[in-house]
Amino acid sequence: MTTQANVPLPPGYQLEEYRIERQLSLGGFSIVYLATDDKGELVVIKEYLPNSLALRTAGHTLPSIAEENAATFRYGMKCFFEEGRALARISHPNVVQVLNFFRANETVYMVMRYERGRTLQEQIHLRKGEIREGFIRAVFARLLNGLREVHAHKLLHLDIKPSNIYLRTDGQPVLIDFGAARQTLQNDAPLLKPMYTPGFAAPEQYNNARHELLGPWTDIYSIGASMYACMAATAPQAADKRLERDQLVPAIRRWPDKYSRQLLETVDVCMRLNYLERPQSVFALQKMLTGKARSLPKTGLFGGLRKRVLALIK
Amino acid sequence: MKFTIYQESRPGKRPANEDRIAYTYSRDALLMVVADGMGGHLHGEVAAQIAVQYVTEAFQREARPLLKDPFLFLSGVLGNAHHAILDYAADRFLPEAPRTTCVACVVQDSIAYWAHVGDSRLYAMRDGRIIAQTRDHSRVQRMVEDGQLSPEEALRHPARNRIYSCLGGVSQPQIDFSKKTPLLAGDVLLLCTDGFWGPLAADAIERTLAEGNVLQALPRLLREAEANGGDNADNLSVIALGWEDSYDEDGLAGVSTQTMPVDAFTTQMESFAKARKGAKALPDLSEEEIERAIQEINAAIRKYSK
Repeated sequence: MTTQANVPLPPGYQLEEYRIERQLSLGGFSIVYLATDDKGELVVIKEYLPNSLALRTAGHTLPSIAEENAATFRYGMKCFFEEGRALARISHPNVVQVLNFFRANETVYMVMRYERGRTLQEQIHLRKGEIREGFIRAVFARLLNGLREVHAHKLLHLDIKPSNIYLRTDGQPVLIDFGAARQTLQNDAPLLKPMYTPGFAAPEQYNNARHELLGPWTDIYSIGASMYACMAATAPQAADKRLERDQLVPAIRRWPDKYSRQLLETVDVCMRLNYLERPQSVFALQKMLTGKARSLPKTGLFGGLRKRVLALIK
Repeated sequence: MKFTIYQESRPGKRPANEDRIAYTYSRDALLMVVADGMGGHLHGEVAAQIAVQYVTEAFQREARPLLKDPFLFLSGVLGNAHHAILDYAADRFLPEAPRTTCVACVVQDSIAYWAHVGDSRLYAMRDGRIIAQTRDHSRVQRMVEDGQLSPEEALRHPARNRIYSCLGGVSQPQIDFSKKTPLLAGDVLLLCTDGFWGPLAADAIERTLAEGNVLQALPRLLREAEANGGDNADNLSVIALGWEDSYDEDGLAGVSTQTMPVDAFTTQMESFAKARKGAKALPDLSEEEIERAIQEINAAIRKYSK
């Protein structure tokens, strides 16, 4: 959390070879900007600036860091490096691509490819309750390819949710914001732990003591919850509340007439509270999703999505 | 303005501190704010943090160096903080918004104005006696005032922690405002959470403050409250302001604001990190390690892209 909001770098600011266009978002740990590189291409730049530790005030470029916070600030930088290190090794169309990493203004910056489109969360808001099976399948089948690659690098995302799933205008989903993917560091840095999004985090993420229980099945819970959110148009009940009193209506009971049995069962099994009952790997989940006969219309669903999205931005 | 001020927040015996406190002042106006995020609700500490931060930032924007209308200010910021908490919950799909109490007090031209929501309290004291205090938005407290419950019964009442007005709740908060209260030299304003006032005997605050200035009295009261709280002591937080006659040269601990520029602010707010219990010292990262990490990452980017 923050003590005071950090002031973003102003539009037009020249940051190494990049020119800041505008601020895209401001989180507790970083500020994200839209910028252009020296070739005029748009990029996304993430600036490490946890506002509980470093404060940039209006008219200044350098943040002021209280001496007592200096060590924590630098330790948090290590977490930021983990994110960069992990992403740099992954080159996959469904995972956000890191282009550069540099130091300036007494902090560090990560440059990522700019993708045109919108988040799945925006899509859910836009189509409240009207997200069709074909869309869900198309998005998640591709997204799981990316997640498989992430897991293959012994990395867990740990914060998969509709607002971290980006839908490019060509229809490809891209997994973004690996800010939570730093499981090896969390234990000793509770101050810098990201806030998990209730509803999408798995039960084992709520309890630090059960840290050793985190695995691919943890991200798989979030995948299930994200698919559930597509159907319900809101987040499902948070896992910690479910542990107290499970009020989550299984997808199979809630939408038996709207989606295929196979998809509903897949969502439900991903969201099992007991991690052992969930698909244990992305591969197993993909097999569940694509294995049996699916009653899909022949015409390219994906082409349909693309057309819709393109129509929306025109 | 000349005053002494003391603030402290302790986690008690709880794993996390969901209380947030802050004070800030310009040359001519002072703000104090205390919020108690509600456990049992998701992210109580987040609600408290949003409230304290929102109120503090708004004060710094508007007290240039005086607020035009302190009551209008308090009414606006508490209402907006409520909506900021709801927005926070909506942005994150939270099934229910986090909640917090809040008591905020403005002093300018030696007049105090305060407003509160929930059961965090403000006491105004003169000559060791309480001259004004907030009324909790709690049914149990109202029953005590109406004589339906004794104060002792209230301490054990199962609904003693239930309040009917808070920021972030489903209904609009009910905000109560004080009278305009002119301050004299020696007056004390004390803002606190229920973890502080709850375990203290009825006259403890009056008794202890009558004995000395806030800087000496408050640490004693905090110790007493925490000890009385026992093995399950709640988070306890307090801000106490001793309003001083400008002729009183007693002690260097006093703050005189006359030398401050009109647009300057001094703020004390517990950082999020420090409010956490059990924070360990972290290994430092050296310059070389930072450089090496960046080189490694860029090498990986070059190697793996295409």
